[in-house]
Amino acid sequence: MSVTTQPGGGASTRPQPSGLVDVIDTILDKGLVIDAYVRLSLVGIELLTIDARVVIASVDTYLRFAEAVNRLDISQDKETLPELIGDMEQGGARRKTQGALEGAGQKIRDLVGGGDDDEEERQPSRRSRRRED
Amino acid sequence: MSSASPETESSTGAGQQTGYYVYGILPGDVELTEEIKGVGDREVTLVHDGDLAALVSEIELLGPLGTADDLQAHKEILDSVAAGVPVLPLRFGAVVASEDAVVSELLEPNRDEFAAALEELEGRTEYVVKGQYVESAILEEILSEDSEAARLREQITGKDADASREERIRLGEIINNAVAAKREGDTQQLLSTLEGHAVASVVRDPTDELEAMNVAFLVEEDKADELDQEVEDLGADWEGRVELRVLGPMAPYDFVGAGQEDQG
Repeated sequence: MSVTTQPGGGASTRPQPSGLVDVIDTILDKGLVIDAYVRLSLVGIELLTIDARVVIASVDTYLRFAEAVNRLDISQDKETLPELIGDMEQGGARRKTQGALEGAGQKIRDLVGGGDDDEEERQPSRRSRRRED
Repeated sequence: MSSASPETESSTGAGQQTGYYVYGILPGDVELTEEIKGVGDREVTLVHDGDLAALVSEIELLGPLGTADDLQAHKEILDSVAAGVPVLPLRFGAVVASEDAVVSELLEPNRDEFAAALEELEGRTEYVVKGQYVESAILEEILSEDSEAARLREQITGKDADASREERIRLGEIINNAVAAKREGDTQQLLSTLEGHAVASVVRDPTDELEAMNVAFLVEEDKADELDQEVEDLGADWEGRVELRVLGPMAPYDFVGAGQEDQG
């Protein structure tokens, strides 16, 4: 997943988690929704909508796979498609080219703040504890 | 329980500028041991009510909610808390009018359900196992198994993309279907491998065409190492074919849905 490598960042032999993608995949449409939710949300606040789902089985998908097969002959590079990235925009239309994906990934990193967002691989620090009762 | 106690909330109305963002529900015997900044860089606090507590921070109501930073904050706060105590994560975007409303509208009406769910989550956290197919490896695998795909590959080799469009689409469709079938099989293998180490599991929708698996597991604290080890072994078996990652521990996002009581 070369696309998630930080520019100028330290090289890593492990695949880097694509931070925001994992965050969205994890919290979008998940979590507790209760009957009271509608009442809870009565305070008007604009919720941005993000469509992180891949549109699977489109002609674009098929053509991309075919092109990948075609590339097998040319180079034996262990090239992997980057995760998702292109779908971060509203509407969720999948980008077609590798270049566009990289561009979008860059933009997202900028939004996130350019920092290391692979925070969750292991053990977040404990910020709370039980009181002794 | 439809009374909104207007006498205590008379100041909250059309002109209100701040509300309370709610991250999740915790047991009441929890306290925060250090300052945490949440959504909008506001300090995260606890609203206690008996045996329950809500994790909240103030929020400006004027701006939109849901930027990358907001999403990251929501998850980071919940995960850091979940590492120490059970937590029921609310879906992103829950905002209430006031601190009183956190108690009267959220905690009080749902006290028994929340308490029971928290008890069930005691000592358990969520881990997500994600696998990504190595493109060249999985394509070679499919081409070696499917004679039509292999034949179509010959047909498009060296041909102009437009001239061989039909063949390309057919080839891509075969590959897409084959990947889906492999995803299902490999996901099943992951599930059966980890079955004994997790309390519950949820297979998530794929987020990438080459995703091999995306499964959330609810895991007992003392079983987390076992899970790690099993995934590592599986990763060794699939070396060069699937890249596996374990995310977590995190709050049990996938295990507090509408039918939360039947996940066990």
